Amino acid sequence: MSIIYVLIPIAILLVLLAIGIFFWAVKSNQFEDLERQGYNILFDDDVDKKAPQKAPKTEEE
Amino acid sequence: MENNNPNSCYHCGLPIPKGEVFWADILGKPRKMCCPGCQAVAEAIVENGLEDYYRFRTEFADKGDKQLTETLDRLKAYDHEEIQQEFVVDDGSQKQIQLTIEGISCAACGWLIERQLLKTPGIKRIAVNVSARRATINWIDSQLKLSEIISQLESVGYHALPFQADEHEASYQKETKSYLKRLGLAGLMSMQVMMLAIGLYFGIFGSIEDTTKEFLHWVSFLLTTPVVLYSGFTFYKSAFSSLRMKSVNMDFSVSIAIIGTFVASAWATITHTGEIYFESVCMFIFLLLISRFLEHRSRHQASLISANMFKYIPLTAIQIDSDNKQNSVLAKHLKPGQKILVRPGETFPVDGVITSGDGNVDESMLTGESEKIKKNIGDHVYGGTINLSGSFEIEVENELKLSLVNKILRLQELALADKPKAAVYADVASKYFIVIVLGITLISYFGWLAYQPDRAFWVAISILVATCPCALSLATPTALTSAMAKLNQYGLLVKRANIIDVMPDVDTVIFDKTGTLTNGHFSVSEVELFNHSDENFVFNLAAGIEQYSKHPISQAFQSKTPLEVNHVDTIAGKGLQGTYQSQIVKIGNLSILDDKLNLPANPDDSRVYLQLGKQLIAAFTVKDVVKKDAKQLVNDLSSKQLVMLSGDAETSATSVANALGIPNVYFRQTPQQKLNYIQSLQADGHKVLMIGDGINDAPVLAAADVSIAVGDASDMAKRSADIILLNSKLSNVKFAVSMAIKVRHKIKQNMVWAIGYNALILPLAVAGYLSPWMAVIGMSLSSIIVVANSIRLLR
Repeated sequence: MSIIYVLIPIAILLVLLAIGIFFWAVKSNQFEDLERQGYNILFDDDVDKKAPQKAPKTEEE
Repeated sequence: MENNNPNSCYHCGLPIPKGEVFWADILGKPRKMCCPGCQAVAEAIVENGLEDYYRFRTEFADKGDKQLTETLDRLKAYDHEEIQQEFVVDDGSQKQIQLTIEGISCAACGWLIERQLLKTPGIKRIAVNVSARRATINWIDSQLKLSEIISQLESVGYHALPFQADEHEASYQKETKSYLKRLGLAGLMSMQVMMLAIGLYFGIFGSIEDTTKEFLHWVSFLLTTPVVLYSGFTFYKSAFSSLRMKSVNMDFSVSIAIIGTFVASAWATITHTGEIYFESVCMFIFLLLISRFLEHRSRHQASLISANMFKYIPLTAIQIDSDNKQNSVLAKHLKPGQKILVRPGETFPVDGVITSGDGNVDESMLTGESEKIKKNIGDHVYGGTINLSGSFEIEVENELKLSLVNKILRLQELALADKPKAAVYADVASKYFIVIVLGITLISYFGWLAYQPDRAFWVAISILVATCPCALSLATPTALTSAMAKLNQYGLLVKRANIIDVMPDVDTVIFDKTGTLTNGHFSVSEVELFNHSDENFVFNLAAGIEQYSKHPISQAFQSKTPLEVNHVDTIAGKGLQGTYQSQIVKIGNLSILDDKLNLPANPDDSRVYLQLGKQLIAAFTVKDVVKKDAKQLVNDLSSKQLVMLSGDAETSATSVANALGIPNVYFRQTPQQKLNYIQSLQADGHKVLMIGDGINDAPVLAAADVSIAVGDASDMAKRSADIILLNSKLSNVKFAVSMAIKVRHKIKQNMVWAIGYNALILPLAVAGYLSPWMAVIGMSLSSIIVVANSIRLLR
């Protein structure tokens, strides 16, 4: 059972990390609009373009 | 969303007018467009590889802007350093701005905007909030101007304006964030502590060593401490402030239970004697925070959509200084006595007196009257109204904050504050409840102290936890939040949650006509010719003269080949007058015609008459088209008393009312008359639901017990309304009414359950049958049942 003396502190560290990430997410307004993000998966970010018009495709996202 | 209707615009869904058709290739097929504006926007979307927008949108887009280039020119003003000071946060390397964006109707719009802007070099970050219709943008100013960002948005069909959250909203946002953090911390920690607690429960069966047990207790203690100190802080604060007001609230008993259990458990951990209930503390705080958070959200939904008045007032003005030089200045810095120049097509920035120039002014945003008004030297003009012709020099009368439009805004806010408020049952009920519970706890504590002193403390804690009116306080907010979420699916945005309480009592429904029941687009339904035989000529002549008018009726006369009419003048309240090939042309109502004309047998004032030379040549019947589902809405609401209040003339108002089956009609109503009518109904004890759209409806919407803004309601109307219909399905309004009845029923169920549970658990707790962890489970179960019951509204 002595393994728990190692595992539990590790678990605590992970939880602290999770809390840190969660606080950062709240701070950067990621919980402001929960309605929309669900739809994001529907959209293709790199559509095949049929018309050979200007295609300033970038890697930004 | 596929739009396969061949008669409506693929982009915006509006009917395609007869005549010229515009095309754009979307998703591999040519699609019909209603106007060059929509065509331009659709082509821009396709060119940028954003066609997916059309595939996944759930609502139509707004109509494209025909005067796109003109609009773009005006945007240059946003690059002024001075203007940016108001809205832009500059951290040295990047600038950040919040924009309100008009035209966002569904999630696809958010994606479209983000993709479009991320392609622009210089943009660092963009986050679009669809429900609030806002975007936060970070950009590098050296690479990109603000006006270019806004014009990017314009090119895909969205109108953006700088925005600053008002104080109320800013504090709401801050509170939401703090709740979320407390909730997140409590949730994550509770999971850990519960996990350890389960291990310890197994320890009861004897398979756990004492040192391990002690270790787990210490870890639980460590994990619980931040929850008690940080997450629970709101309860202590609220308990303390209510104590200072010399009263007790629910948080007082909550605080005692939390701190009592925590301190006793900590003491037991340190001294190795006694019982330990860290997991109960964590769960208790977590569940309570959930209910608080739900309550907080449902109470403040309103602030999300707070519309912004900057739209009506230009940010800048051209000031003429003593040397006759023209400077661009911020409108809010204008002082009484200064002189400014307002060019045709611009909006007056402040109230003032005309010192030179004359021309027509559109004051519809203040009066609701769409006719333009002729202004001369010495006349007053008001901020927010639009200069249609002439170039004016104006002496400023009032500072911006004292201007008429701001006064109206304040009036409206006062009306909102005075509005009959729905009682918040839970708050009142739980107040008495707390006092009783505290009394009972105290009595049992001393009772047990005399009988079994070592159990007295835990019995008292169990009573406090078990009877915590958590379910009671959840009963109302959860039902309201579920109802609002459901209504949102129908496109109904509920701004003030408590309004759902009032809705079932509504016995009178009042409709506005134009824009609410009808489309607000006029068209010619019938032409009667006199002394002339060529209908095309007559129509083109009418179109030729009407193109000079901004009156909504003039939209009915649109032709690709209008005849050339010169010297056109507007005669307010009558019509237009001009010359066609040296003959006089007049169009308008009966009063504009020459006296000696041979009029038809029964002249009808709702028709539009056309006179050429000395002869009456035609009479047009101009009709506003009734919305498709208006009839259905009227039928759905027929159990209530229905009234239509219209600013229009008798014939057009009554014909719409008769067609829809609305028994009571009042026509030629000014905003003030509408307001008086509603107030007299309220004085007689009626509860009034008002459905309207225009600026002139704004005070009435604010005064009604419940109000719904529909269609493309103006911002002023949206601001005063309690519920906003975001899509064009008028018949969805009935869901607001039926849902309100369901909600009231649901709240009653929840209350009965919550009170029943407390009545049941109290004797058990007093008798000492409950240990604290059982009390927490009991409390949680009763809360979960309430929440689950409320969530059923979503189905």
